[in-house]
Amino acid sequence: MSNIKIQKLTKRYGDMLALNDVSLTIESGEFLILLGPSGCGKTTLLRCIAGLETPDEGQIIIGDKVVFCSEKNIFISPGERNLGMVFQSYALWPHMTVRENMKFGLDVMKMPVQQADKRLAKVLTDLGMSELQDRYPSELSGGQQQRVALGRLLAAEPAVFLMDEPLSNLDARLRMDMRVELKKFQASTGSTTVYVTHDQTEAMTMATRVVVMKNGNIQQVSPPTQLYKNPQNTFVADFIGMPRINLLSAKRPKGAGSVFTNGDIELDIGWCPDQNEIIIGARPEDLAICKATKHKSSNFAVSSVLPNGPEVIVQLIGGSTSLLARVNHDVNLQQGELMEISFDKKALNIYDAETGQLINRPEG
Amino acid sequence: METLLIRSDFLTKTLKDPVNLLLIALLTVLSYLILWPFFELILQTITWGDGDRRLSRAAIPGEHTWFHWLQVTASPLSSKILYEPLINTLKTGLISTVLALLAGGMLAWCVVRSDIPGKNWLQPILTLPYIVPSFAIALAWESLFRSPKVGGQPGLYQALFDLSPPEWLSYGTFPISVTLAIHYFPFAYLLVCGALATIDSQMEESALISGASRMMILRRVTFPVVAPAFAAAFILTFGKTIGQFALPFLLGAPTQFHTVATMVYATLALGLDSMAYVLAIVLIVMSLMAIWLSNRYVGKKSGRFETISGKGFRNRQVSLGSWRWPIFLGVALFAFVVGILPLLLLGYQSLMLFDGFFDLSNFTLHFWIGESDPEIAMGEPGVLHNHNIVGAVWNTLELAFLSAVIASLIGLLIAYIVVRKPNNHLAKLLDQVSFIPFLFPSIAFGAMYLTMFAEPNGPIPALYGTFTLLVLISVVNRLPYSVKTGVTAITQIGKELEEAAEVAGASWRHRFQKIVIPLASSGALTGMMVSFVGVMRELSLIILLITPSTRVLMSVGFNYAEEGLTQLSHALVLIVAVLTIIGELILWWAGKSKFVRLREKET
Repeated sequence: MSNIKIQKLTKRYGDMLALNDVSLTIESGEFLILLGPSGCGKTTLLRCIAGLETPDEGQIIIGDKVVFCSEKNIFISPGERNLGMVFQSYALWPHMTVRENMKFGLDVMKMPVQQADKRLAKVLTDLGMSELQDRYPSELSGGQQQRVALGRLLAAEPAVFLMDEPLSNLDARLRMDMRVELKKFQASTGSTTVYVTHDQTEAMTMATRVVVMKNGNIQQVSPPTQLYKNPQNTFVADFIGMPRINLLSAKRPKGAGSVFTNGDIELDIGWCPDQNEIIIGARPEDLAICKATKHKSSNFAVSSVLPNGPEVIVQLIGGSTSLLARVNHDVNLQQGELMEISFDKKALNIYDAETGQLINRPEG
Repeated sequence: METLLIRSDFLTKTLKDPVNLLLIALLTVLSYLILWPFFELILQTITWGDGDRRLSRAAIPGEHTWFHWLQVTASPLSSKILYEPLINTLKTGLISTVLALLAGGMLAWCVVRSDIPGKNWLQPILTLPYIVPSFAIALAWESLFRSPKVGGQPGLYQALFDLSPPEWLSYGTFPISVTLAIHYFPFAYLLVCGALATIDSQMEESALISGASRMMILRRVTFPVVAPAFAAAFILTFGKTIGQFALPFLLGAPTQFHTVATMVYATLALGLDSMAYVLAIVLIVMSLMAIWLSNRYVGKKSGRFETISGKGFRNRQVSLGSWRWPIFLGVALFAFVVGILPLLLLGYQSLMLFDGFFDLSNFTLHFWIGESDPEIAMGEPGVLHNHNIVGAVWNTLELAFLSAVIASLIGLLIAYIVVRKPNNHLAKLLDQVSFIPFLFPSIAFGAMYLTMFAEPNGPIPALYGTFTLLVLISVVNRLPYSVKTGVTAITQIGKELEEAAEVAGASWRHRFQKIVIPLASSGALTGMMVSFVGVMRELSLIILLITPSTRVLMSVGFNYAEEGLTQLSHALVLIVAVLTIIGELILWWAGKSKFVRLREKET
């Protein structure tokens, strides 16, 4: 078990800045997930930790060993960093059997045969692969190949697990099962795990902490629940959550303290930020809708209704504003019906319209 | 100061990587073996040589001169040395290319797009003429149409019709063009087959639906799409014909008909070395121009016409209707005449006691199993007892084996560097340098090595006359092909497979041995076999470098043919032909039963 300290890491590809002055500490035993759209630098960061890429500047410390430092010109090769990696394509060696694939790392370590046999037997049993150990990778299903990749990592018993979108090649159902299994293995070995994915459900369900990245910069580092409830900026707010969050640019009409409007809807957010121009973030489930009555008219009409199992996603349009609401499946709505909208004030996140950063709500 | 520090860091880091070290080493060696001989060749043509004193009193060995260039291009000799051969080269090259393309194109269409029967066995027979040495076809032609008017014994034509064949049929433009076409049409055939196979017949069907007639479809859709491949095939085939030496020599030299390639040999035989080198440069320039043209005009166009294969790709077969069997008979007859008949003729000729007498009583196995008999063939014993030939067999196999193995390994290493370092300028340079031998017509390449290694060269002793030199030139000559097969093999090995081993702590050497070589081996082995066969039938490349002690089957066969010992030369070339066919059969068989698990793609 080791923690990982990443300090001021920068990596350029020509003019492209893949990592921009990234600092991050990964605690020992943590399951940390790097999340972001493609090209955000998450895989580059992982490969820098692995030693498969050489950063341009900064420092990486694994446990108490400096594995990379641009100032002191230190670069420890991947094999000496005591880590294991699962690749997106699994990278199983097609000319070796399941067993040979798992044994390769032990041979490199020059582990005595008896000890290696014992360890392989345990890993193979744990993964339920004992009967398939003499097969070649091409004779296995996708899920089984995934297990071999995992077994190759487990056999070497590294202090750090690195995983690069390991589940992205599996079908949806198998992916669910493997998530549970991966989490179980991680917990039982207690190894520090860094895991890259672009699938937010994966990140939310498995991670102890999630790092959201964009254009080589870290946007937010939080446990999954907090990430969902309090996104630190509009990018994270927009990126996390399906269906997407409602982001409304709103201004404060003169004199009105906590009331803001975007022209189509007027909203009392319940407190008074310093800024006059803000972006209001409201998750679809933070909206409540009911049919408009005569004395409380509304200009928001139902434009589409998307049933999704236990819930229904409703799109409402009023003027030039479009809103998504998540409501219970038993509501019966017709297209074109006018709806009255109310917000859960406590759940709203308020962002500075200029910077896009979260404006902290005063305590109490 | 600071930049200096960073630079030295960069340097030490670069040098620590074994792949970089290898890159620099390979680049140095290949520059020495490929670029330097070319400069040396040019240098020789503009410098007085030791032997030049008998040509001109003004000669001062070592001094600069344009004498050789002037002699070749603007002297009373030039029409004999340069212009006539040049015209002959262009004439035979163009005619043979047109013939080869016509035959190859039509056959390709029949085999790929029509419902002609017997495709499975027609295809291998149709490629036979390209597999056997071109020399074999020339010998077969000669055995048919040899004319006592020019010298030697009568051929089969005269024996059958009892009148001597006209000279144009025996020697010169016509036979050279036709035999070159026979040798190269399979090459054009394979190129056009590849292009035709990529046509999605839905393209034609949509034209059919819009009301176009069959001829119109062929003219407006099919042909324009394959046209770039046709043009490429034309230029590449032409480029290949001009470097041919043995075939035009056999069918031209008896009547003083020379091409540039045979003139290189003839002037060297006369001791006019520097003029031979000028001619070699002329050949190289012609070949460069052909390749340049094909890249410039065809490369771009074919990219534009690249058909996208994938979903819904179908290759519909055209029904020949009642023409099916007549066309089949025609194709089969053609395949027999060009693929099998020449080999039968060679075998037949090697069994005749007295050359040119086509009578059953004249048959003998003497030239295969006979002991030395002073009455027959100047006392040369038959193939099995002939030390000259048995030694040549071993030399041939050794040369082919060593060259194939070394070329494949170096090709694999170069391919590895080229694929794994896509942004490295030196790696790109290495790729380009290793391709250059493809641009040298083989006899010109031989001439280069002759100038380069005739004398000690720095730390390298004079290699002329050694077996090492033959291996060296064969390896370098095969490099463009072996790098190409290597690149295909390495590209299929995902980078992650190696990274996974790197994370596990395996060193570069360990990774290369345990991951790269096993995974590339099936592709590299195929490449090795192709090289083996290729080196075995090679003559033009090494003819200038061979000495009696380093003789190979092809060179001994050539010498016998020059001396008029027809039966022995026929027997030898037949042996080479059979060996190459066996090699191709092994390849064909290996291609079918390749390890399925290695080729299967990851899900």
